[in-house]
Amino acid sequence: MKKETMGFKGGFHLLDAYPLPFCTIIDEISSDGAPEQFQFPVTGQKIEHVIVNLCPTEPWALPNWVILKHKTAAFLSMLKEIKTSYFSDARFHLAINEKEDRAVEDAVNFARAEDWIKVIPLCAKYPQDDPVILAQVLLGMDVSFGQDIKSLGILIVDAQTVSAMYEQGIMRKDVNSRYVVLSGTGLRENEIIRAELGTSVEKILKNKVKDASTCRVFMNGPLRGKEISDFSQKIDWSVNNIVVFEEKSRKVLFPMFKADELAFTTSLLGELRRCVYCNFCDDICPVDLEPALYYHSYIRGEKHKARLYNMGKCIECGLCSFICPSKLELLKIIRECKALDKHE
Amino acid sequence: MKKFLKPIEPLLDKGLNTAESFIHTHRKVNFFFGAVFEAFDGLIRNPKETAQSPPFIRHNYDVKRFMGAVLVALVCGWVLPAIYLYGWQCVVPKLIVSFVAGVFIADFLWVIIAREEHIAEGGFVTCLFIPAILPPQAPLWLIGLGAALAIIFRNILGGVGNNLVNPALFSRLFLTICFPAFLVTGYQMPLIGTQGIHTVPQGLDAVTHATPFTAFKTSGEVASYLSLLLGTATGSLGETCRLALILSGLWLIKVKVANWRVPVSYLGSVFIFSVFFSLILGKAVAPPFFQLLSGGLILGAFFMATDPITTTYNQTAKWIFGAGCGFITVLIRDFTTLPEGVMYAILLMNLLAIPIQSLMVKIRYRL
Ligand code: SF4
Ligand code: SF4
Repeated sequence: MKKETMGFKGGFHLLDAYPLPFCTIIDEISSDGAPEQFQFPVTGQKIEHVIVNLCPTEPWALPNWVILKHKTAAFLSMLKEIKTSYFSDARFHLAINEKEDRAVEDAVNFARAEDWIKVIPLCAKYPQDDPVILAQVLLGMDVSFGQDIKSLGILIVDAQTVSAMYEQGIMRKDVNSRYVVLSGTGLRENEIIRAELGTSVEKILKNKVKDASTCRVFMNGPLRGKEISDFSQKIDWSVNNIVVFEEKSRKVLFPMFKADELAFTTSLLGELRRCVYCNFCDDICPVDLEPALYYHSYIRGEKHKARLYNMGKCIECGLCSFICPSKLELLKIIRECKALDKHE
Repeated sequence: MKKFLKPIEPLLDKGLNTAESFIHTHRKVNFFFGAVFEAFDGLIRNPKETAQSPPFIRHNYDVKRFMGAVLVALVCGWVLPAIYLYGWQCVVPKLIVSFVAGVFIADFLWVIIAREEHIAEGGFVTCLFIPAILPPQAPLWLIGLGAALAIIFRNILGGVGNNLVNPALFSRLFLTICFPAFLVTGYQMPLIGTQGIHTVPQGLDAVTHATPFTAFKTSGEVASYLSLLLGTATGSLGETCRLALILSGLWLIKVKVANWRVPVSYLGSVFIFSVFFSLILGKAVAPPFFQLLSGGLILGAFFMATDPITTTYNQTAKWIFGAGCGFITVLIRDFTTLPEGVMYAILLMNLLAIPIQSLMVKIRYRL
């Protein structure tokens, strides 16, 4: 099979930049009350395309081996049963990380005999697994950010959801727990746990955090996720991972010799400056926008003008703020200007 | 290094924290020493700000490293070759004077008078350019004046990030108008007649020579390409060793500090237009490869035209910017009596970058 060179301009190899080792021990944590049930992701809509996303691009996301257990063929026959009982006329697209040779090989061998599934090896560059990018790269469809893609007949599922669908829909078992990845410099150890749905964050992080007073907790990763301050919040199916960062809110002497100490914390790692027009932000933007234009409109007080520069296409991946050497809050500006749009 | 620093780190850190809190509690001191303190503090410690809005993780790359890469490239590109070609007695005093006048006098005074927040490290880059674009025999006071002018000019326009044109080149333009004698003469052959330390303050001691381009204009003689490449031909202090400049320029492009589109389009258009004019006019204009390798073109194309602040932000517009620079350079070189056109070309295109940028934005977003 010819290797397809599909992709998008820009993006960033987060997996290479922040390699996170995980120990393979998986703890089980049960909730206090009755655990909640997994909700089957489709109810009623007609689904034409199912994208199975086996290409996590964030280092703090759940790695494939936890679900696949290096038995890709078994996973795919599970998928086949799901297809015959639920999505009999849908096409399946398997987006898989091209670096995982064995899994790719197994999947290609499997797909040779089947015509309902297409295997697409992809480069695991953040934000390849974003719904908008997946739909664009795999199906060639233009989806805008925040749109309900199920109404377009597209369903995007990750490995864990597939296995839960299989257990609930085919094996008729109760699914009430999921894997959650815990990582970050604020923790004693990076680990993967299996938590019942409805467990509070506080209970999950108990005895795992180094120093509770200097930690910040993010749900679903520091790039796309949100910060949580209320630790009694409950885990639901959408929580893939919890990242705990040390808050480095003190000055560090000779930072150039201490890259390890500062990396993977909330530190800005630099001073706030004016934009130097370095083009880093538009080089990295996965949808080919020019975020510095938004910044310049914004500081001139012309928020309405920023929206003229294709702002609707932005998928809020946060890479522009991530890379900006002047440490400008580009994503915040984009969100503010977008919010202005809604008021009118 | 690490081992050596470890024991004194807590001491230093504590002392600095006390100084910092003193400055913050005594508001009046802030405008006098605060900025100076913060400039030094910024060099050895990272700021304590943390991300308050998403994304909560930031890349380990800041403006300081950006400027640091330019400094490293400049040192390898012209300082080391110039020390070899002209002797350290010629280069080192000029660098010291340039830094002292530019960063430690002009910038500090400005920060104190204008009550700026902090001193930007961009001044080091500008001051490292000043000796490079002046003749080897330029006297020290000229260098100091040039550095101070460049920094003051940049600060008047609003500091790093707001400058309209390249401050080092603007300062050279100013010096060319005020002191033409020093900038037209003052070129000596490298590797011979190393200046004694006593002649440096006055300049103009060793035998001067015409630059290759002036020689071409007066007698039509073309210098050998090898001597131009290796730096044994005459020229401004920093522009002669073109091999080193090209190598460090390529490194800058590799680390993404310089945008490759600008040098490619600049050098490409110089080549295309000079081929075009020599096909029409024959021997009356300089041959293409001689154009590429003479004068400040390599230094200008790799280090000055690529200054991100004074080019356009839009990537397509960078092609137009570079092509415009090349066209003006060839025009000035071939059809005027001026000996060199790179400076004027880059300054003019710096100004034109603003309309080009807004035009490209209008075309791209169909406004
Ligand atoms: S990355 Fe930051 S400094 Fe660079 S052009 Fe974009 S907004 Fe400006
Ligand atoms: S947040 Fe928006 S503008 Fe910034 S890099 Fe991502 S898609 Fe581009």
